[in-house]
Amino acid sequence: MSGAVTWLRRNLFRSPVDAVVTVIAAVVAGWVLWRTLNFVFVTGRWEIIRVNLRLMLIGRFPEAHELRIAVTVVSLSAWGGLLAGIVRARQVKAGRVDAGDTKFGVRRVADLAERFWIPLLLVVLLLALAGTVGPVIVAVLSVVAAVIGRLIGPVIGRLELPAIGRTVLVTVLLAIPVILYFYVVTAVGFDDWGGFMLNLFLAACSIILCYPIGVLLALGRRSTLPLVRVVCTVFIEIIRGAPLFVLLLFANVALGFFVPESLVPSTSTRAIVVFTLFTAAYMAEIIRGGLQSVPSGQFEAAKALGLSPVRQTFLIVLPQAIRNVIPAQIGQLISLFKDTALAGVAMGSFELLRVSQAITQQDDFAGQGLIGETLAFGAVMFWAISYTMSRESQRFETRLGVGVR
Amino acid sequence: MTTAGARVPLWRDVRVLQWIIQLVVVAAAVLALFWLYGNYTENSERLNIPTSLDFLDNPTSFEITGNDLSQNAPVRDAYYEGFLNTLRVSVAGIVAATVLGTIIGIGRLSQNWLVRKMATVYVEAVRNVPLVLFLIAGFLAIVLGVFPQIADAWEPLGLAVISNRGIAIPWYDGAGYGLLVIGLIAAVVAWAVSRWRQVLFARTGTTPRTGLWAGGAFLAVVLIGWFGLGYAWSIPEIDGRLTTGGIRIDPSFFALFFALVIYTASHIAEIVRGSIQAVPKGQGEAASALALSGFQRMWYVVLPQAFRIAIPPIGNQYLNLIKNSSLGAGIGYYDLTLVTQTTVGNGSPAVPAFAITLAVYVTISLVTSVFVNIANRRFKLVER
Amino acid sequence: MSDAMTDGTTDGGGAPDATVFADATQVAGTGDVMIEVESVDKFFDDFQALKDIDVKVGRQEVVVVIGPSGSGKSTLIRCINRLEEHDAGRIVVDGVELSNDVRNIQEIRRETGMVFQQFNLFPHLSVLDNITLAPRNVRKMPKAEAEKLGMELLERVRIPEQAKKYPGQLSGGQQQRVAIARSLAMKPKVMLFDEPTSALDPEMINEVLDTMKDLAREGMTMIVVTHEMGFAREVADRVVFMADGQIVEVGTPEHFFTNPQEDRTKLFLSQILD
Repeated sequence: MSGAVTWLRRNLFRSPVDAVVTVIAAVVAGWVLWRTLNFVFVTGRWEIIRVNLRLMLIGRFPEAHELRIAVTVVSLSAWGGLLAGIVRARQVKAGRVDAGDTKFGVRRVADLAERFWIPLLLVVLLLALAGTVGPVIVAVLSVVAAVIGRLIGPVIGRLELPAIGRTVLVTVLLAIPVILYFYVVTAVGFDDWGGFMLNLFLAACSIILCYPIGVLLALGRRSTLPLVRVVCTVFIEIIRGAPLFVLLLFANVALGFFVPESLVPSTSTRAIVVFTLFTAAYMAEIIRGGLQSVPSGQFEAAKALGLSPVRQTFLIVLPQAIRNVIPAQIGQLISLFKDTALAGVAMGSFELLRVSQAITQQDDFAGQGLIGETLAFGAVMFWAISYTMSRESQRFETRLGVGVR
Repeated sequence: MTTAGARVPLWRDVRVLQWIIQLVVVAAAVLALFWLYGNYTENSERLNIPTSLDFLDNPTSFEITGNDLSQNAPVRDAYYEGFLNTLRVSVAGIVAATVLGTIIGIGRLSQNWLVRKMATVYVEAVRNVPLVLFLIAGFLAIVLGVFPQIADAWEPLGLAVISNRGIAIPWYDGAGYGLLVIGLIAAVVAWAVSRWRQVLFARTGTTPRTGLWAGGAFLAVVLIGWFGLGYAWSIPEIDGRLTTGGIRIDPSFFALFFALVIYTASHIAEIVRGSIQAVPKGQGEAASALALSGFQRMWYVVLPQAFRIAIPPIGNQYLNLIKNSSLGAGIGYYDLTLVTQTTVGNGSPAVPAFAITLAVYVTISLVTSVFVNIANRRFKLVER
Repeated sequence: MSDAMTDGTTDGGGAPDATVFADATQVAGTGDVMIEVESVDKFFDDFQALKDIDVKVGRQEVVVVIGPSGSGKSTLIRCINRLEEHDAGRIVVDGVELSNDVRNIQEIRRETGMVFQQFNLFPHLSVLDNITLAPRNVRKMPKAEAEKLGMELLERVRIPEQAKKYPGQLSGGQQQRVAIARSLAMKPKVMLFDEPTSALDPEMINEVLDTMKDLAREGMTMIVVTHEMGFAREVADRVVFMADGQIVEVGTPEHFFTNPQEDRTKLFLSQILD
């Protein structure tokens, strides 16, 4: 009992001023908490979410082809598990991590649950809202697939493959998401995708496409050749000086002017173009920071060994530079993911935020003031993923030992 | 065998190769621009859309809420108004976000458990949600959903009128820049007083209490000026479906301001916390060892160093806030972006119209970063 | 290649018994000239780091360059493999002139190993990968062969057991020995050492110096910038003293440490030897 009193003394009532602060804070916190709980459990009318769950998650994707999404989700889970397993095994093999770090059994499950409880909870919530058996099966299969992949991965990772074998393996691993993409896109072209799936897709495409451009821009801006530096700097600064929202609006009304008539891109393509160029400029600045953090001695040693400039860059400097700024890159990725919500406002893409607004106008729900409910749902979706990503990034950062004093 | 002084073949000469690479890059950039520009002129000609800036002289044919610009005023005037609106919400947002962000950032390091937890929850909840969601929520859910009709407007203490048509708050009565002049005089007086306290502190060692003295002097001058020049408060009142008196804040301005402040404050809070934590622990320990008090330790040793660390990232957040203010267009706030969108909707050519807007934003960004760089250089620690 | 080299130099056969050298172009060792530095100037903006430097280094010769900091000794050896570009004069390494010709620059870098004060090992690569990187990518050596060579070199610097580790896991002395092995993997004809022991804790200096002594004994051509006077005395064929971007005095170690001629040299030696 006295332990609790000491704790209260030390943490809440150090001095009279502190006590007043505590009381005010408690009132504010209590009020916010009460309002939130009240909204979630009492006044909130969540029927609109339940009815429109499909629309919010996958837009108007035809029901006939839904199986394709299910197959893709399960396959991607297996792929992710496989990749994680292979990477882990290779790290152990290279002596980068201690094999003894791997936890097994219950501890492993507890560890994963601690890391991913938010998205897991979200999935459970979504399954409960869906109320049908299909999604549950997909979810269970995904987990099973991921676990199997994670178990097979190390076996593959430990194999001593000849050069050709390794090339084949990498090609197959890279090809899987591409194949899945075409598998889904042949059913419904991505211009007609919608809902949260569209947000994820826009973010994924842009991050993949922005990377090579960002790296080249960063290298260009650090180049010793003045003209190359000027070209890259001008591009980066113009993009970074302009608001993303205005760039999206601009692309929406004016991108068609800059390409031949036959090539006028669709809304989703325009969004991807803008997100890619925008993120590339920011990524370039992050990678430039990474390049600056690599000591000049690394360049000199590479030169002294007779490596060509291209090899100096891609074998020595770039790997270190990119590793040094992984947390900032994940931050940019999170930022990009959140920004995909702008595509709805600026271009009318049918992404989650736009769906959230649109469904309040449906005949069944119009005029009932349900915008709070739908926006809250959207916010939770974005929040759960962004928050988990940033926590994973922090965890990674601690393991790298960067940023720890 | 290379003999001395032999001429180097061109294709192996480092300098030549460097020039070739540069020329290739520049040529690629020029070609790309050329292609884009060619397509642009061709498409414009085909669609019979002008490519010049003449549209700036055409009448706007739309009205800007809260502004008496007529529909016949030229587009350039509307642009100017939009630019001012962008600046208004940005400046207000920067000031408020800095205050809120600093409080929350310090709260994250508070010794009070409850305050610490609340600040953490705020930061983690807000910065992982898209800003545009706060904006839409602020506008659709709070202003249009929660705020009452003008007939049942909230009137807290009878001082303000809050309704879904905007928020009216007390403001001073009287025209001109009189109050601004008084404020400037007060600031100068306050500065002089603070200097005097510092000199006194240096000479005699009395506790300076600079903040108290300067604040008091400022307040005194303002009050004297206020009554001396006969200013009076104007309290807003409901007048039918409108309000009179005070100053009325447009709902869209309120929602945009609200969203920008809430969102940016979460980022500034993290910067403030990080900067304070980034000051080496030994600094605080050294200050304690010199028997400085808790406040003195923060004020003279830790905060000045944290401030230096915080300048570049905070400057970045200011830039982000200015750029994010363009989102106001999504809820009908007539900033630069919405003016552009509207004028394009009314038939102005899209590419020149947006080119102007982008140029203005890029210029604002560059000017801001110049200021941030100056501040950064000015405050940088001198190192050998 | 060496046939054209013997002429145009000084009176070859460079006498190891000579105690005083007129200038730094008189070589010791076998008499072939390996490195020729002629009237080289180097500017950093307005500051002249090298003033009209003339040095020759014979095949299998060990030249130790000493001098106060800022005297230009590091700049001199960094010019020899084009880490810095000289502004005037000629530099010829094993018959290849250092010019703007990319092929010549690459050739000289392939034939020249360099060891840095800060080791500059690649932290993202294991010790063995650090060593095999250049042979595989520049000399196009098959992986298995490169790794065999790498292990041999690690044996030679006496740390084969560290092959799988990463540079960050090694002590400074071990890192510097790996750096030496990494340079040797390219089978260089010349080794340049830029203050190889200055960043080391005292107890690790000897392990690195011993490795360097082994190398010298095996007949490697070496230019060593160092403050280790013991090493200079024991291993050097010639000692070059530099100050303010100029070569002040050149001599055998014996002459140099017992009977220096120039006041500048005497002052420096008295400071460094207490």
